[in-house]
Order: sequence, then C-alpha cells, then structure tokens
Amino acid sequence: MNDMLQVARREIKTGFRNPWSYTFLILFCVFSLCLLVINSQSIVQGYSGVTGSMLSLILYLLPLMTLFLGSFSLTAEKEEGSWQLLSTYPIGTLSFIVGKYIGLSIVLLTIVAFGYGLMGVISGLVGMSFASSTYVLFIAFSCGLVLLFLTLALLIGSLSKNRWQALTVSVSIWFFAVIGWQTILISVLNFLPYTWIKPTLVALTFINPAELVRLFVVIKLGGGSILGPEYYQWVEWIQRSSGSWLFIAVCLLWISFSIMVVYWLWERGRSHG
Amino acid sequence: MKKAEQTLIYRLLFIALLLICHQVLNMEEALASTSIGQVNSLQAIIDQLDAGDAIELPPGTYAGPATIDKMVSIRGNSEVTLLNPSGAPAISILSDGVHLANIQIKNNASGDQSPAILVKSHQVTLEDLTIQTSGYGIILRDADQAILQNNTITWFKPEANKPKQKGNGIDLYNSNGTLIKNNHITGVRDAIYLEKSRNARIQGNKLSRTRYGIHCMYIDGSSVIDNEGQYNITGAMVMGVKNVVVSGNVFRRQSQNVHSQGILLYDVQSSSINKNVVEGNRVGIYMEQSSENELSNNAVLRNFIGIQLINSNSNQFHGNEFIANVIEAEAADSQKNEMMRNYWDSFQGLDLNHDGTSEIPYAINPFYQLLVTQTPAYQLFFQSPGMTFLSDMFTNGQEDWSTDSSPLMNADISHTVSTESAKGSADVLAIGLLLLCTAIYTIIYLGVMRE
Repeated sequence: MNDMLQVARREIKTGFRNPWSYTFLILFCVFSLCLLVINSQSIVQGYSGVTGSMLSLILYLLPLMTLFLGSFSLTAEKEEGSWQLLSTYPIGTLSFIVGKYIGLSIVLLTIVAFGYGLMGVISGLVGMSFASSTYVLFIAFSCGLVLLFLTLALLIGSLSKNRWQALTVSVSIWFFAVIGWQTILISVLNFLPYTWIKPTLVALTFINPAELVRLFVVIKLGGGSILGPEYYQWVEWIQRSSGSWLFIAVCLLWISFSIMVVYWLWERGRSHG
Repeated sequence: MKKAEQTLIYRLLFIALLLICHQVLNMEEALASTSIGQVNSLQAIIDQLDAGDAIELPPGTYAGPATIDKMVSIRGNSEVTLLNPSGAPAISILSDGVHLANIQIKNNASGDQSPAILVKSHQVTLEDLTIQTSGYGIILRDADQAILQNNTITWFKPEANKPKQKGNGIDLYNSNGTLIKNNHITGVRDAIYLEKSRNARIQGNKLSRTRYGIHCMYIDGSSVIDNEGQYNITGAMVMGVKNVVVSGNVFRRQSQNVHSQGILLYDVQSSSINKNVVEGNRVGIYMEQSSENELSNNAVLRNFIGIQLINSNSNQFHGNEFIANVIEAEAADSQKNEMMRNYWDSFQGLDLNHDGTSEIPYAINPFYQLLVTQTPAYQLFFQSPGMTFLSDMFTNGQEDWSTDSSPLMNADISHTVSTESAKGSADVLAIGLLLLCTAIYTIIYLGVMRE
C-alpha cells in the first residue's frame, strides 16, 4: 500500500513536471473556451445541437490526450531504465501498476478539472445560461473517458517497446475507437443474420469506452428517445439512478480487468528479466 | 272604450305577473323538493325548465346524470359542482342551441369510458367548464357549429393509467364548423381529437402531458392556430387532410417517448404550416407521405432532429430557421421539394454578392436516415463522431438530395432568443471555482513544490 502511494506520488510529480501535460492543459483550456464562445448565444441544457457538438469535440480530444500521456509514461519507465532499477527493490508489480494508474489519473483529472473550472468560472461571470446538471454531467463524462482510456493507455504502454511505437499504436486505437468504429461495425455486422445485429452491437458497445461513455451521457442528457424503440428498455433503465450505478460498476469492471492484464504483462516481463 | 282598454292591459299585466310568480315559485319548489341532503338532482331542475329558459344554478353540489332535450341556458358559478358517479354521461345534450357555462363537473365513474358531456345537437356552447374525468371530457357526435371555450379538462387520477386506458379531452366525430378556443387540457389520452370534422378552428388551447395534443384525421379546411403544448408524446398529429392551416403553435419538450414529435404531418396535402415554434422535441417537424404543402417561417430549435422528411414530395420550405438541433434535417425518398432562404445554423455558407443568402447550396445528407430505415439497430450511432465522419464520405447521388438552393446567412434574431432560461449559472460558477482551485492546488502542492 505504501509502495503504491510512493509510486503514485512520484508519478504525479513527474507528470506535473512534464511539458506535455501543460501542452495538453493549454490545448484543453483553449478548446473548452472556444466551445464557450461558440455557444455563448445558446442555452446549454439537455441534449441539443450545442451539447451534441461539445460531446463530439471532447470525444476527439480527451481520449487522444489520455492515450499519449498514459502510454508514454509507461514506455519511459522502460526506455529510461527506471523500471529495471525498481525491479531490484522489493516492490510488488501490482503496487507499481496501480500506483502508476492512480498517479496518472490524478494528473489527467487535474487537467480536466482545470479546463472545466475555467470554463465554469468564465461562463458564470459572463452570465451564460449553462444548466448546472448539464455541466456536472459533462465533467462526469470527461472523467469517465479519461479513466477508461487510461487503462487502454497502460495496455499500449506495456506492449510497446518505445515511445514511437506507443505513439503509432495510440493513434490507431484512437482512430479505431472514436472515428472508425461505426464504419467498421456497419461493414462487418452486415454479414451477420439480421437478428444478431442488435445483440452484437450492444455487446461490442461495452468494449468501446468511447461509445459506452457517449451513450451514457446522451441518455442522461435526456436524449435516449432518439435511439429508437429498439433500445427503449435500456434507455428507461439507465435513466433511473440505478443506471448510474450500473455504469459505474461497468467502468470499475473495465478498469480492474485491464489493470489485471497489464499486471500480468509486467509480471511476465519481470520474471523473464 | 278607453277605460275598457286600460282594464284589459291591467288584466294582461296581472296575468303576466302571476305567471312569472308561478314560474319562480315552481322553480323554487323544484329546487327545494329535489335537494336530498346537500345534493340536488340536476335532471329534476332541467325537467322544470321550458325551451328558451335561462337559469343560474345556486351554489351547491348537484348530481348527474342529466339529459338536456330542450334549448336552455344553464349557468353555474365557481361553487356549482356536478358529481357523476354513474356510468352514463354526466350531461347529455340532445337539443340545438344549448348553452352551458361555469360548472365544475367531476366524472369519476371508475374504469368507465363515458364522457363528462355528450353533445348530439347543433350550435351548442360550452364555456368556462372545469371537468375532471376518468373517462372522456367532452364528446361531440354529429354536432355542427359548437363553441367550446375556456374549459379546463384534467384527468381524475394524475398519471395513474396508461394512455390507452384513458379517454380523450375533447373528442369530435362528424361535427363540422366547431370552434375550440382557449381550453386547458392535461393528462388525458388525446387532448383534442377530431375525426371527419371539417372547418374546425382550434385556437389558443394549452395542452400538456397527453398522448397527442391535437389529433386530427380527415378535417379538411380546418385551422390549428396559436396552441401551446408541452410534455405530450406528440404535439399536433395531423393526418389525412387537405387545405389545413397550422400556424403560430408552440410545441416544447416532447422528447420523452421514442415516437415523440413536435408536429407530425402524415398524408397532408395542400396545407400551410407556418410560424410555428418547435423547441426541444425529439423530432421538430416530421413529415411523411405529404405533398404540395407550404412550410414557412417556422422556428425549429434545439430538437434532436429538426425536420424529418420521408416520402414527401413537392413541398415548399422557405424562411424556416433551424437552430441548435442535434441533426438539423433528415430526408429520404423525398424529391422535388423546393427549399429556399431557410437558415441552417451549422451550415457555413458563402455570400459573394451580399444579398443575404449563400451561393453554396445546403444539401441534406440522407445516409443516416437510409441506414437506420434498413437496420433500426444502428440508431445507437446517432450523431456519434464516427457516424458524422461516415456520412460526410457518402456523396452518392447528391443531385437527388433535398437541397436548399439559397440558405440564409443570418437568422432572424427574434426567433433565436429562446423563451426558456436555464438556471444554475451561480452553481456553475461555484463548481467551476472549486474545480479550478483544486486543480491549481494539486499542481502546485504535488507537482511544483519540493519536499
């Protein structure tokens, strides 16, 4: 436990001394302020064109940021040899991985908090009509995205030999999950019998964190009816408060499963030297 | 001679006076004799009336059911309540020219479809009635030229039953030339249901939490004007009509149900739909199998889908504003629609000759619509980044798409200012400040400072 906290602390320290973090911090702030300017005339409440475009833009930026910072942090451990050094100490691999995860998520969530904080303060001062429930939901949406994509980032970092490899894989994963997902799914699912399409689609949605989080927020914003009668029961269920708990449970399952896989990868690497 | 004449006049006057006295006494007798404890029988009072009589009911509680079979005017005041626990209609009107006003009717026969008021005659006026019903509100059958105004109709047990088990607020069949004005209807199945009733005028009604706010079938030549609806499944459902005017209506927040729409037009021909405001609905204006209509100057704001056209040809769209909709327009199998001078907020036009319209046309991409028509399961992809990406790549057969040839560069500001206001700016400020401070503290304390 103590080891884990030490690793997390070290991660936060290096995270906030990493110029990359500040690059993303500035990018995210500029970006959220631009959104604010674009929507300064409109009401930000419920599911509308305004919140829809905000969702899309966040969906582009945050996963990319998370994948880069996360995977680079792990490959740096390998490239700079600090993991080789750490493995000689009596420190558990799990403590190391979980510590890394906690440290990185604190760094990333701080960036998100800074961006949203600035956005909230400015919109409050300007007197924009920004419904607080929508604001909170967007923060939750962003945190969810960050936490889920961070596990993917750790996976990429574990499997890559160096930063360049991590960069390439990160970009392809990002493109696959955020942009190419629908295209790939539509083309592949058309080979399946018609009745299989919906269940397969639902199952696959749980695999893609971008889709999972996006749909949850769309439904919570009150836009669930647009998904049509096919998903009526899902929508009704998620709209209730039990839906939020289910979502949190799915996220925790996701995170713990990926961390176990990452742990297994590092443990194997450690024993094989 | 002169004296005889005078005597005759006096006698006539005397007889008239006697008659009036008799009438009044009779009525008082009737009122007195029918009161059983606190509750009076309305039928007994009506039976005492002659055709052409007007009466104001004294305050109190009355019992239904009652049938009015002569031309009378019955007026209550705010303290007149009619209870009807029986299965029959509380009041049945069978005579032309009946006038009912200012009565509270509680039609609470449980599990029954009977109406509070049933009208089967012409030129009936019903106004200022407050109706609570567990069946129907007002039913008109073969009743022409009725006037229904300033009535309030509510469901007896709020939100207790499913729409199918409820009755309609105002229900017309084969009743032409009806005026339905300034009524408040909430919680029933369809607030105003019209079938085979021509030349009706539905104006200034407020309708909420119903299945369809206004449900019209086969009502040629009618007009639906200045009505307001919210939280209905669908605001106005207009079906199978010609020459109808739908104008100045406001429909908001119809987004809960998977079939919700602001205005639904199905098989509507040669009609005018103008100056309506549809805001925050699942679909603002939905149009299917409709042609030769004119849609102009409507404000379509903050809907999930602004306007959806399916199989609708040769309609005209101009001066409409589409603002902050998640998807502005969907069109499939719809040709020869003339779109001009509409404002689409997500479209970036180019105005070279400074005439206020863009020289680049705005085309509605049908890809998503076609995809989900084939496989409804793909509705899960609604407006996801990947779907937008894929739609943009699809440019097949662009010449057949519904296209606005000269989209407006700027919106009319009066429409864009929504009447809604989102609260919580102070909350957002507080949360924002908290987040910002936490972030800065974390960065400085955990990152920058040395131990």
